[in-house]
Amino acid sequence: MLRGTTAGLVFHELRLSWRAALARSGGGVRGLVIICSVILAFTGFAGVPLGYVLRHYQLPISRLTIILSDLGLLAIASLMVSQTLSTATESLHQRGDLDLLFTAPIPPRRTLAARFMALAVTVFLTFALMVSPLLIPVAIISHPTWLAFYLVLASTALGAAAMGLALSTFLFRLIGARRTRAVAQVIAAIIGASFFLVSQVNTFVGKSQSQGIWAQAKALALDESFKLPPGADIPLRAMIGQPLFLLGYTLGAVILFFAVSSWLGDRFAADAAMASGADTANAPTKAQAARWETSAFRAIFRKEVRLLWRDAALVSNVLLRTLYLIPLAYLVIRSARGDTGLVLAAAAGGLTFMAGQVAGTLAWITISAEEAHDLLAGSPTRQGIIRQAKLAAAYLPLVIFLAPLLAYLVWVAPVVGGFALGGCIASAITCGLINIWYQKPSKRKDFRRRKGSSWFATLAEASVAALIGLATTFATLGNVWALLPSLLAIGLMMLLRRSEAQIALALED
Amino acid sequence: MVDALVVADLNKSFKTPAVQGLDLVVRTGELYALLGPNGAGKTTTLRMVAGLLAPDSGSISVFGIDVLKSPLEAKKVIAWAPDEPMLYDRLTPLEYLEFVAGLWNVPPALAAARAEDLLQTLGLWEDRNRRCEGFSRGMQQKAALAGALIHDPKLLILDEPLTGLDAAVARQVKDLLQARVAAGATVILTTHILEVAERMADRIGIIQGGRLLAEGTLDELRTRTVSQGGTLEDIFLELTGDHGAPGA
Repeated sequence: MLRGTTAGLVFHELRLSWRAALARSGGGVRGLVIICSVILAFTGFAGVPLGYVLRHYQLPISRLTIILSDLGLLAIASLMVSQTLSTATESLHQRGDLDLLFTAPIPPRRTLAARFMALAVTVFLTFALMVSPLLIPVAIISHPTWLAFYLVLASTALGAAAMGLALSTFLFRLIGARRTRAVAQVIAAIIGASFFLVSQVNTFVGKSQSQGIWAQAKALALDESFKLPPGADIPLRAMIGQPLFLLGYTLGAVILFFAVSSWLGDRFAADAAMASGADTANAPTKAQAARWETSAFRAIFRKEVRLLWRDAALVSNVLLRTLYLIPLAYLVIRSARGDTGLVLAAAAGGLTFMAGQVAGTLAWITISAEEAHDLLAGSPTRQGIIRQAKLAAAYLPLVIFLAPLLAYLVWVAPVVGGFALGGCIASAITCGLINIWYQKPSKRKDFRRRKGSSWFATLAEASVAALIGLATTFATLGNVWALLPSLLAIGLMMLLRRSEAQIALALED
Repeated sequence: MVDALVVADLNKSFKTPAVQGLDLVVRTGELYALLGPNGAGKTTTLRMVAGLLAPDSGSISVFGIDVLKSPLEAKKVIAWAPDEPMLYDRLTPLEYLEFVAGLWNVPPALAAARAEDLLQTLGLWEDRNRRCEGFSRGMQQKAALAGALIHDPKLLILDEPLTGLDAAVARQVKDLLQARVAAGATVILTTHILEVAERMADRIGIIQGGRLLAEGTLDELRTRTVSQGGTLEDIFLELTGDHGAPGA
């Protein structure tokens, strides 16, 4: 038995995470089979060939590879810190759980160290799952020492957990419990998108051509006035399995983690106790005149908009997604005035895809994360009205963001604008429909842990939105190939469609 | 006068039968307590009456309206309040009542007057602009009850309405329910606090294994048991053969 030990607590946390992940596979066996098939197909069609291609290739330790590996790791680390900061802040407010653990005869510092270690493991596994289809075949076929990348990932996750802990404690001390909850979520969103936004600086500063990461890294490597900082090669050497560098990188992360958790653990525990005892969430809402609605549609729409706006975690998630839209939007505006047809077409497709993604996330929140499902089901309101109102509320933030951009595009380049407008509407509607067909009632607070709906619905949404995005790109270019992804999207939607009876049956289960 | 609720030969199974051939009549203007041990089928029955769950077979009629054929018509006169308050953490009680009134299409002026009256009666008026997320269990229960009453339902269905409430709040809720019954509404409730059923209910139904074992006034139930003159607890235990307390 591991009762009360750090290992026991980590095991407890991991077990909860694992069960939450299992519960999240809303598509059931079919969803898991699809996900496994995608991973296996990717391994077979991309990982294995890559392994053979790299069989006789020795990765050079050059300025270019160092810059690329550092940038890659920085991107991963920024996403990891975003995730750990968000979770660390939430754990300040998870009253029942922490109260239970803090009343146990275990030092709070150990409880929190275990929680953050488990968080690091979860974050690590997420990224490990993503790289495995490429890394494992490459390691088996050509470079076994590259498996060291897993250790680098794990160390980075441990460092990110330490950063998340430090940042949330700092924010708590600086602005108090209630504001921390909202501000940390927004900061987490910005950190998550920071690498992407920084990489798009050239787009914003108006250089004539937008450069990819590869081109930017190459330019930097060739620029002799740019000096690499000392130790810049450590991550790359650690990734390819050079023992001393791997040891150094890992030890550095472990020391950082334990130093931060020892230094801030008690403080964080005190903050958590204060946050849960201070009734932080119950600040009076600004008194306003009541607005008694005259129809169920308006009442539901208004309720959903209020709830969306008041959920800091949700606002940050939407913000994160809309941040990704900004460079695309900027690209559209710039290209629409010039003659960069291909860039414009790609940007229109990207916008369409992202419109579907944002719409899908918000639709899941309004449809599935209904806190009083029985109240609506027991009211004399038709299901159609309820769904329409919920979807309308879900689309509102998207409309506010996209409407001016699409209006501009239609004005400047009517054909492209028309296709982009049609693509965005189709993408948003289809993703909304998928959320109606595969709704899965759960508490709104679960959104923070799940970050979205079931894997199956998420995968279906992404696939349909990607197909519509591709169709939009081809259509914008005047290419007849636009028909193929359009037909595939229609076919996929027909396959996914569920009747009212099937939806009701799934809800009853 | 038409009965408030008529349930005939109602059946519902999940993996095992939950409700089996249930017949139940609740008269207009009475407070009816439905008792039974854990897993007896009380909540399943009430959820079917509220139109939240489709029965496998049987019929349900509320004030003469067929719940299965005209669910929306039936829902107009029903209010359902489960043991877990159906609230939104990030709405204030007043916003919650605005929302619920909208669902039932209560005219705005009437809804505003009722909301103030209900919040005043339940002692929530001072907290009307505070979000529900920090409310105690009792305050949440009261806010949910106000929501159930905002459309002035003719049939109020309450599943364990007094669970987790302190004595003062429980008294408020009981007074409110009795006032509703006095005003002509019909109340069906489940409770594990037998004393509440004993003191408040006009008639009591005891259910087990999805079947109605007995029903009637307390005196009528006494005559049907060996322990004539016993308390409701004695009657309940004798009928159900259960030595534990009745549960949800």
